[in-house]
Amino acid sequence: MRQILFLITAMVFAMSLIGIATFYILRARKASRTAWTTLLARLRQIDRTSVAAVALDLLEDRDAEHQLQPDTIFQMIHGMEGMEALEQNCDVLIDLAAYVQKWYPEALELAEELRLNAREIKWHIGRLRGASATGHLQEQFPIYAQRAVATYYLMTRSLLVLYEGVQLPEFAELQRAI
Amino acid sequence: MLFGRRRARTFPIFTTLISANILKTIVLYFTLRFAPFQVYFNTYWTLVIADVALQLGVAYELASLVFKPLGAWAPDVRRTFIGIIAVSLVVAAGLTWLASPPARFWQQRIVIRGNFLTSVLMSEFFVALVVLSVTLGLPWRTHVARIAQGFGIFSIFGIFTDAAHNLLGAHYYQMVSHLEIELYLAVVAYWIVTLAIQEPEPRKMPEELRLELRDLQRRVTMMLSSLRAMGSPS
Repeated sequence: MRQILFLITAMVFAMSLIGIATFYILRARKASRTAWTTLLARLRQIDRTSVAAVALDLLEDRDAEHQLQPDTIFQMIHGMEGMEALEQNCDVLIDLAAYVQKWYPEALELAEELRLNAREIKWHIGRLRGASATGHLQEQFPIYAQRAVATYYLMTRSLLVLYEGVQLPEFAELQRAI
Repeated sequence: MLFGRRRARTFPIFTTLISANILKTIVLYFTLRFAPFQVYFNTYWTLVIADVALQLGVAYELASLVFKPLGAWAPDVRRTFIGIIAVSLVVAAGLTWLASPPARFWQQRIVIRGNFLTSVLMSEFFVALVVLSVTLGLPWRTHVARIAQGFGIFSIFGIFTDAAHNLLGAHYYQMVSHLEIELYLAVVAYWIVTLAIQEPEPRKMPEELRLELRDLQRRVTMMLSSLRAMGSPS
Protein backbone atom coordinates (compact mmCIF):
# COMPACT_ATOMS: atom_id res chain seq x y z
CA MET A 1 0.00 0.00 0.00
CA ARG A 2 2.77 2.42 0.95
CA GLN A 3 4.65 1.55 -2.25
CA ILE A 4 1.62 2.40 -4.38
CA LEU A 5 1.09 5.66 -2.50
CA PHE A 6 4.76 6.49 -2.98
CA LEU A 7 4.62 5.69 -6.70
CA ILE A 8 1.51 7.80 -7.30
CA THR A 9 2.82 10.74 -5.26
CA ALA A 10 6.25 10.67 -6.94
CA MET A 11 4.75 10.47 -10.45
CA VAL A 12 2.19 13.22 -9.84
CA PHE A 13 4.94 15.34 -8.32
CA ALA A 14 7.36 14.81 -11.22
CA MET A 15 4.66 15.44 -13.83
CA SER A 16 3.61 18.63 -12.02
CA LEU A 17 7.20 19.87 -12.06
CA ILE A 18 7.47 19.13 -15.78
CA GLY A 19 4.15 20.91 -16.40
CA ILE A 20 5.12 23.99 -14.37
CA ALA A 21 8.57 24.25 -15.96
CA THR A 22 7.14 23.85 -19.49
CA PHE A 23 4.46 26.48 -18.85
CA TYR A 24 6.96 29.07 -17.60
CA ILE A 25 9.57 28.33 -20.29
CA LEU A 26 6.91 28.79 -22.99
CA ARG A 27 5.75 31.98 -21.28
CA ALA A 28 9.30 33.33 -21.26
CA ARG A 29 9.78 32.48 -24.94
CA LYS A 30 6.50 34.15 -25.84
CA ALA A 31 7.47 37.24 -23.85
CA SER A 32 10.87 37.45 -25.55
CA ARG A 33 9.19 37.30 -28.95
CA THR A 34 6.66 39.95 -28.01
CA ALA A 35 6.87 42.72 -30.51
CA TRP A 36 7.20 46.31 -29.43
CA THR A 37 3.71 47.12 -30.66
CA THR A 38 2.18 44.29 -28.60
CA LEU A 39 3.97 45.63 -25.55
CA LEU A 40 2.67 49.15 -26.10
CA ALA A 41 -0.82 47.85 -26.83
CA ARG A 42 -0.96 46.49 -23.28
CA LEU A 43 -0.74 50.03 -21.89
CA ARG A 44 -4.13 51.26 -20.72
CA GLN A 45 -5.15 54.80 -21.56
CA ILE A 46 -4.27 57.22 -18.77
CA ASP A 47 -4.54 61.00 -18.93
CA ARG A 48 -0.83 61.84 -18.78
CA THR A 49 -1.43 65.53 -18.06
CA SER A 50 -3.61 64.72 -15.06
CA VAL A 51 -1.13 62.14 -13.79
CA ALA A 52 1.69 64.68 -14.01
CA ALA A 53 -0.41 67.38 -12.32
CA VAL A 54 -1.45 65.12 -9.42
CA ALA A 55 2.08 63.79 -8.98
CA LEU A 56 3.78 67.19 -9.07
CA ASP A 57 1.22 68.50 -6.61
CA LEU A 58 2.70 66.09 -4.09
CA LEU A 59 6.33 66.12 -5.20
CA GLU A 60 6.77 69.88 -5.41
CA ASP A 61 6.70 72.18 -2.39
CA ARG A 62 3.48 74.19 -2.65
CA ASP A 63 1.44 76.38 -0.31
CA ALA A 64 -1.68 74.74 1.05
CA GLU A 65 -3.89 77.08 -0.98
CA HIS A 66 -2.25 75.99 -4.24
CA GLN A 67 -2.60 72.29 -3.54
CA LEU A 68 -5.18 70.13 -5.31
CA GLN A 69 -8.40 69.42 -3.43
CA PRO A 70 -9.32 65.77 -2.65
CA ASP A 71 -12.38 65.88 -4.93
CA THR A 72 -10.29 67.27 -7.77
CA ILE A 73 -7.74 64.46 -7.37
CA PHE A 74 -10.53 61.85 -7.44
CA GLN A 75 -11.92 63.32 -10.68
CA MET A 76 -8.54 63.75 -12.34
CA ILE A 77 -7.56 60.13 -11.64
CA HIS A 78 -11.03 58.76 -12.50
CA GLY A 79 -11.43 57.05 -9.16
CA MET A 80 -10.68 53.37 -8.67
CA GLU A 81 -11.00 52.70 -12.39
CA GLY A 82 -8.06 54.98 -13.03
CA MET A 83 -6.09 53.36 -10.23
CA GLU A 84 -6.67 49.91 -11.74
CA ALA A 85 -5.39 51.14 -15.10
CA LEU A 86 -2.34 52.49 -13.29
CA GLU A 87 -1.79 49.12 -11.61
CA GLN A 88 -1.86 47.27 -14.93
CA ASN A 89 0.44 49.79 -16.55
CA CYS A 90 3.04 49.26 -13.81
CA ASP A 91 3.62 45.72 -15.11
CA VAL A 92 3.98 47.05 -18.65
CA LEU A 93 6.54 49.63 -17.48
CA ILE A 94 8.64 46.81 -15.98
CA ASP A 95 8.38 44.87 -19.26
CA LEU A 96 9.38 48.01 -21.14
CA ALA A 97 12.54 48.24 -19.02
CA ALA A 98 13.15 44.52 -19.56
CA TYR A 99 12.80 45.14 -23.33
CA VAL A 100 15.97 47.28 -23.20
CA GLN A 101 17.79 44.45 -21.39
CA LYS A 102 17.82 42.49 -24.65
CA TRP A 103 20.60 44.81 -25.84
CA TYR A 104 21.78 46.40 -22.60
CA PRO A 105 21.85 43.91 -19.69
CA GLU A 106 22.76 46.77 -17.35
CA ALA A 107 19.19 48.08 -17.73
CA LEU A 108 18.34 45.36 -15.24
CA GLU A 109 19.17 47.75 -12.43
CA LEU A 110 16.40 50.11 -13.49
CA ALA A 111 13.97 47.25 -14.16
CA GLU A 112 14.61 46.07 -10.62
CA GLU A 113 13.93 49.55 -9.19
CA LEU A 114 10.74 49.79 -11.22
CA ARG A 115 9.63 46.42 -9.93
CA LEU A 116 10.04 47.64 -6.35
CA ASN A 117 8.20 50.88 -7.19
CA ALA A 118 5.38 48.83 -8.74
CA ARG A 119 5.07 46.79 -5.57
CA GLU A 120 4.68 49.99 -3.60
CA ILE A 121 1.98 51.24 -5.96
CA LYS A 122 0.13 47.94 -5.68
CA TRP A 123 0.33 48.20 -1.91
CA HIS A 124 -1.30 51.67 -2.03
CA ILE A 125 -4.02 50.38 -4.37
CA GLY A 126 -4.58 47.42 -2.06
CA ARG A 127 -5.18 49.86 0.79
CA LEU A 128 -7.68 51.72 -1.39
CA ARG A 129 -9.53 48.49 -2.16
CA GLY A 130 -9.70 47.82 1.58
CA ALA A 131 -11.02 51.34 2.19
CA SER A 132 -13.55 50.86 -0.59
CA ALA A 133 -14.78 47.63 1.01
CA THR A 134 -15.28 49.36 4.38
CA GLY A 135 -16.88 52.47 2.86
CA HIS A 136 -13.97 54.84 3.57
CA LEU A 137 -12.77 55.29 0.00
CA GLN A 138 -13.70 58.95 -0.34
CA GLU A 139 -11.58 60.09 2.64
CA GLN A 140 -8.57 57.83 2.00
CA PHE A 141 -8.45 58.10 -1.79
CA PRO A 142 -6.49 61.37 -2.11
CA ILE A 143 -3.74 60.21 0.24
CA TYR A 144 -3.02 56.72 -1.14
CA ALA A 145 -3.93 57.53 -4.73
CA GLN A 146 -1.71 60.60 -4.88
CA ARG A 147 1.26 58.65 -3.51
CA ALA A 148 0.67 55.87 -6.04
CA VAL A 149 0.34 58.38 -8.88
CA ALA A 150 3.54 60.19 -7.80
CA THR A 151 5.45 56.89 -7.75
CA TYR A 152 4.04 55.95 -11.17
CA TYR A 153 5.01 59.34 -12.56
CA LEU A 154 8.59 58.88 -11.34
CA MET A 155 8.66 55.42 -12.91
CA THR A 156 7.69 56.85 -16.30
CA ARG A 157 10.35 59.57 -16.03
CA SER A 158 13.08 57.02 -15.27
CA LEU A 159 12.00 54.85 -18.18
CA LEU A 160 12.08 57.78 -20.60
CA VAL A 161 15.59 58.74 -19.44
CA LEU A 162 16.70 55.16 -20.13
CA TYR A 163 15.17 55.00 -23.63
CA GLU A 164 16.51 58.41 -24.57
CA GLY A 165 19.95 57.60 -23.17
CA VAL A 166 20.45 54.37 -25.12
CA GLN A 167 18.95 56.08 -28.19
CA LEU A 168 16.42 53.40 -28.97
CA PRO A 169 14.29 54.30 -32.01
CA GLU A 170 11.22 53.45 -29.93
CA PHE A 171 11.84 56.46 -27.67
CA ALA A 172 9.51 58.87 -29.50
CA GLU A 173 6.66 56.37 -29.49
CA LEU A 174 7.18 55.65 -25.82
CA GLN A 175 7.18 59.35 -25.02
CA ARG A 176 3.77 59.66 -26.65
CA ALA A 177 2.43 56.58 -24.88
CA ILE A 178 3.42 57.29 -21.29
CA MET B 1 35.97 22.85 -22.85
CA LEU B 2 35.46 24.54 -19.49
CA PHE B 3 39.14 25.44 -19.20
CA GLY B 4 39.91 25.78 -22.92
CA ARG B 5 37.10 28.28 -23.49
CA ARG B 6 37.67 29.92 -20.09
CA ARG B 7 34.17 29.09 -18.84
CA ALA B 8 35.65 27.84 -15.55
CA ARG B 9 36.08 31.45 -14.36
CA THR B 10 32.36 32.13 -14.74
CA PHE B 11 31.23 28.75 -13.41
CA PRO B 12 33.83 27.66 -10.81
CA ILE B 13 31.46 25.39 -8.83
CA PHE B 14 30.08 23.77 -11.97
CA THR B 15 33.65 23.14 -13.14
CA THR B 16 34.48 21.60 -9.75
CA LEU B 17 31.41 19.34 -9.98
CA ILE B 18 32.32 18.09 -13.45
CA SER B 19 35.94 17.50 -12.38
CA ALA B 20 34.78 15.77 -9.18
CA ASN B 21 32.50 13.46 -11.21
CA ILE B 22 35.43 12.35 -13.35
CA LEU B 23 37.57 11.81 -10.25
CA LYS B 24 34.70 9.98 -8.52
CA THR B 25 34.33 7.53 -11.40
CA ILE B 26 38.05 6.71 -11.35
CA VAL B 27 38.18 6.32 -7.54
CA LEU B 28 35.05 4.14 -7.42
CA TYR B 29 36.28 1.94 -10.27
CA PHE B 30 39.54 1.13 -8.49
CA THR B 31 37.88 0.80 -5.07
CA LEU B 32 35.35 -1.69 -6.44
CA ARG B 33 38.05 -3.73 -8.13
CA PHE B 34 40.69 -3.80 -5.44
CA ALA B 35 39.01 -3.09 -2.07
CA PRO B 36 36.43 -4.91 0.10
CA PHE B 37 32.74 -4.06 -0.39
CA GLN B 38 32.56 -2.13 2.90
CA VAL B 39 35.36 0.20 1.78
CA TYR B 40 33.62 0.66 -1.58
CA PHE B 41 30.34 1.45 0.18
CA ASN B 42 31.96 3.99 2.53
CA THR B 43 33.80 5.65 -0.36
CA TYR B 44 30.65 5.70 -2.49
CA TRP B 45 28.59 7.26 0.27
CA THR B 46 31.24 9.90 1.09
CA LEU B 47 31.46 10.85 -2.59
CA VAL B 48 27.66 10.99 -2.90
CA ILE B 49 27.55 13.52 -0.03
CA ALA B 50 30.24 15.60 -1.74
CA ASP B 51 28.31 15.32 -5.02
CA VAL B 52 25.07 16.54 -3.42
CA ALA B 53 26.91 19.46 -1.78
CA LEU B 54 28.44 20.42 -5.13
CA GLN B 55 25.09 20.13 -6.94
CA LEU B 56 23.52 22.48 -4.40
CA GLY B 57 26.53 24.74 -4.91
CA VAL B 58 25.91 24.76 -8.68
CA ALA B 59 22.26 25.62 -8.09
CA TYR B 60 23.38 28.55 -5.94
CA GLU B 61 25.93 29.59 -8.56
CA LEU B 62 23.29 29.65 -11.30
CA ALA B 63 20.81 31.46 -9.04
CA SER B 64 23.47 34.08 -8.27
CA LEU B 65 24.13 34.63 -11.98
CA VAL B 66 20.41 35.00 -12.69
CA PHE B 67 19.29 36.98 -9.64
CA LYS B 68 22.30 39.21 -9.05
CA PRO B 69 23.92 39.81 -12.42
CA LEU B 70 25.12 43.23 -11.25
CA GLY B 71 26.57 41.97 -7.99
CA ALA B 72 23.76 42.43 -5.48
CA TRP B 73 20.65 40.44 -4.64
CA ALA B 74 17.34 42.21 -4.97
CA PRO B 75 16.08 42.66 -1.40
CA ASP B 76 12.82 40.74 -1.88
CA VAL B 77 14.30 38.04 -4.14
CA ARG B 78 16.68 36.80 -1.46
CA ARG B 79 13.83 36.26 1.01
CA THR B 80 11.71 34.44 -1.58
CA PHE B 81 14.70 32.32 -2.52
CA ILE B 82 15.36 31.24 1.09
CA GLY B 83 11.63 30.43 1.40
CA ILE B 84 11.82 28.26 -1.72
CA ILE B 85 14.81 26.35 -0.31
CA ALA B 86 12.94 25.70 2.95
CA VAL B 87 9.75 24.48 1.20
CA SER B 88 11.80 22.35 -1.23
CA LEU B 89 13.58 20.65 1.66
CA VAL B 90 10.31 19.84 3.44
CA VAL B 91 8.63 18.45 0.29
CA ALA B 92 11.72 16.41 -0.66
CA ALA B 93 12.01 15.00 2.86
CA GLY B 94 8.28 14.13 2.90
CA LEU B 95 8.45 12.26 -0.41
CA THR B 96 11.60 10.42 0.66
CA TRP B 97 9.94 9.40 3.91
CA LEU B 98 7.15 7.75 1.89
CA ALA B 99 9.67 5.57 0.03
CA SER B 100 10.45 2.12 1.40
CA PRO B 101 12.87 0.44 -1.02
CA PRO B 102 13.10 -3.37 -0.85
CA ALA B 103 16.80 -3.98 -0.14
CA ARG B 104 18.75 -6.55 1.85
CA PHE B 105 21.17 -4.14 3.51
CA TRP B 106 20.36 -0.91 5.34
CA GLN B 107 23.21 0.74 3.46
CA GLN B 108 21.45 0.03 0.15
CA ARG B 109 18.26 1.59 1.50
CA ILE B 110 20.17 4.71 2.55
CA VAL B 111 21.79 5.07 -0.88
CA ILE B 112 18.51 4.58 -2.78
CA ARG B 113 16.61 7.01 -0.54
CA GLY B 114 19.51 9.50 -0.53
CA ASN B 115 19.61 9.57 -4.33
CA PHE B 116 15.85 10.06 -4.51
CA LEU B 117 16.04 12.94 -2.01
CA THR B 118 18.73 14.64 -4.11
CA SER B 119 16.79 14.25 -7.35
CA VAL B 120 13.60 15.69 -5.85
CA LEU B 121 15.45 18.57 -4.22
CA MET B 122 17.40 19.51 -7.33
CA SER B 123 14.31 19.24 -9.56
CA GLU B 124 12.31 21.51 -7.26
CA PHE B 125 15.18 23.91 -7.13
CA PHE B 126 15.58 24.24 -10.88
CA VAL B 127 11.87 24.55 -11.54
CA ALA B 128 11.68 27.25 -8.84
CA LEU B 129 14.61 29.02 -10.49
CA VAL B 130 12.74 29.10 -13.82
CA VAL B 131 9.43 30.19 -12.25
CA LEU B 132 10.99 32.96 -10.15
CA SER B 133 13.13 34.36 -12.96
CA VAL B 134 10.25 34.37 -15.46
CA THR B 135 7.90 35.96 -12.91
CA LEU B 136 10.43 38.69 -12.17
CA GLY B 137 11.30 39.15 -15.85
CA LEU B 138 14.99 38.45 -15.30
CA PRO B 139 16.82 37.38 -18.46
CA TRP B 140 19.05 34.29 -18.58
CA ARG B 141 22.47 34.43 -20.16
CA THR B 142 22.81 31.69 -22.76
CA HIS B 143 25.36 29.52 -20.94
CA VAL B 144 23.56 29.78 -17.60
CA ALA B 145 20.33 28.69 -19.28
CA ARG B 146 22.00 25.72 -20.99
CA ILE B 147 23.64 24.46 -17.78
CA ALA B 148 20.34 24.83 -15.91
CA GLN B 149 18.43 23.02 -18.68
CA GLY B 150 20.83 20.09 -18.50
CA PHE B 151 20.56 19.89 -14.73
CA GLY B 152 16.79 20.29 -14.80
CA ILE B 153 16.27 17.44 -17.29
CA PHE B 154 18.72 15.16 -15.49
CA SER B 155 17.18 15.84 -12.07
CA ILE B 156 13.55 15.37 -13.16
CA PHE B 157 14.46 12.19 -15.01
CA GLY B 158 16.24 11.22 -11.79
CA ILE B 159 12.92 11.29 -9.91
CA PHE B 160 11.58 8.60 -12.28
CA THR B 161 14.68 6.42 -12.12
CA ASP B 162 15.11 6.84 -8.36
CA ALA B 163 11.42 6.09 -7.84
CA ALA B 164 12.05 2.91 -9.89
CA HIS B 165 15.00 2.12 -7.60
CA ASN B 166 12.69 2.52 -4.62
CA LEU B 167 10.07 0.21 -6.12
CA LEU B 168 12.29 -2.44 -7.67
CA GLY B 169 14.96 -2.39 -4.99
CA ALA B 170 18.59 -3.42 -5.15
CA HIS B 171 18.05 -6.28 -7.64
CA TYR B 172 17.36 -3.96 -10.55
CA TYR B 173 19.72 -1.24 -9.37
CA GLN B 174 22.24 -1.81 -12.13
CA MET B 175 19.70 -1.77 -14.94
CA VAL B 176 18.08 1.49 -13.85
CA SER B 177 21.49 3.01 -13.08
CA HIS B 178 22.60 2.40 -16.66
CA LEU B 179 19.69 4.52 -17.88
CA GLU B 180 20.82 7.33 -15.57
CA ILE B 181 24.42 7.05 -16.76
CA GLU B 182 23.32 7.22 -20.40
CA LEU B 183 21.25 10.32 -19.74
CA TYR B 184 24.14 11.93 -17.84
CA LEU B 185 26.46 11.32 -20.79
CA ALA B 186 23.88 12.86 -23.14
CA VAL B 187 23.62 15.92 -20.86
CA VAL B 188 27.43 16.23 -20.70
CA ALA B 189 27.55 16.10 -24.52
CA TYR B 190 24.90 18.84 -24.63
CA TRP B 191 26.98 20.99 -22.25
CA ILE B 192 30.15 20.46 -24.32
CA VAL B 193 28.43 21.62 -27.50
CA THR B 194 26.54 24.56 -25.98
CA LEU B 195 29.45 25.83 -23.88
CA ALA B 196 31.70 25.74 -26.94
CA ILE B 197 29.48 28.31 -28.67
CA GLN B 198 30.17 31.95 -27.78
CA GLU B 199 27.45 33.99 -26.10
CA PRO B 200 26.27 37.12 -27.92
CA GLU B 201 28.31 40.07 -26.64
CA PRO B 202 26.10 42.51 -24.68
CA ARG B 203 26.22 46.22 -25.54
CA LYS B 204 27.80 48.55 -23.01
CA MET B 205 25.65 51.33 -21.63
CA PRO B 206 27.31 54.77 -21.99
CA GLU B 207 29.01 55.80 -18.75
CA GLU B 208 27.21 59.17 -18.72
CA LEU B 209 23.84 57.46 -18.96
CA ARG B 210 24.71 55.03 -16.21
CA LEU B 211 25.63 57.90 -13.91
CA GLU B 212 22.51 59.84 -14.90
CA LEU B 213 20.27 56.85 -14.20
CA ARG B 214 21.98 56.23 -10.87
CA ASP B 215 21.52 59.86 -9.90
CA LEU B 216 17.89 59.78 -11.01
CA GLN B 217 17.22 56.62 -9.03
CA ARG B 218 18.85 58.18 -5.96
CA ARG B 219 16.55 61.20 -6.25
CA VAL B 220 13.50 58.97 -6.81
CA THR B 221 14.41 56.92 -3.73
CA MET B 222 14.73 60.10 -1.66
CA MET B 223 11.37 61.40 -2.88
CA LEU B 224 9.66 58.09 -2.15
CA SER B 225 11.26 57.96 1.30
CA SER B 226 9.86 61.40 2.09
CA LEU B 227 6.43 60.24 0.85
CA ARG B 228 6.61 57.24 3.17
CA ALA B 229 7.70 59.49 6.03
CA MET B 230 4.41 61.38 5.72
CA GLY B 231 2.86 58.39 7.48
CA SER B 232 -0.43 56.61 6.89
CA PRO B 233 -3.80 58.20 7.44
CA SER B 234 -5.66 56.97 10.50
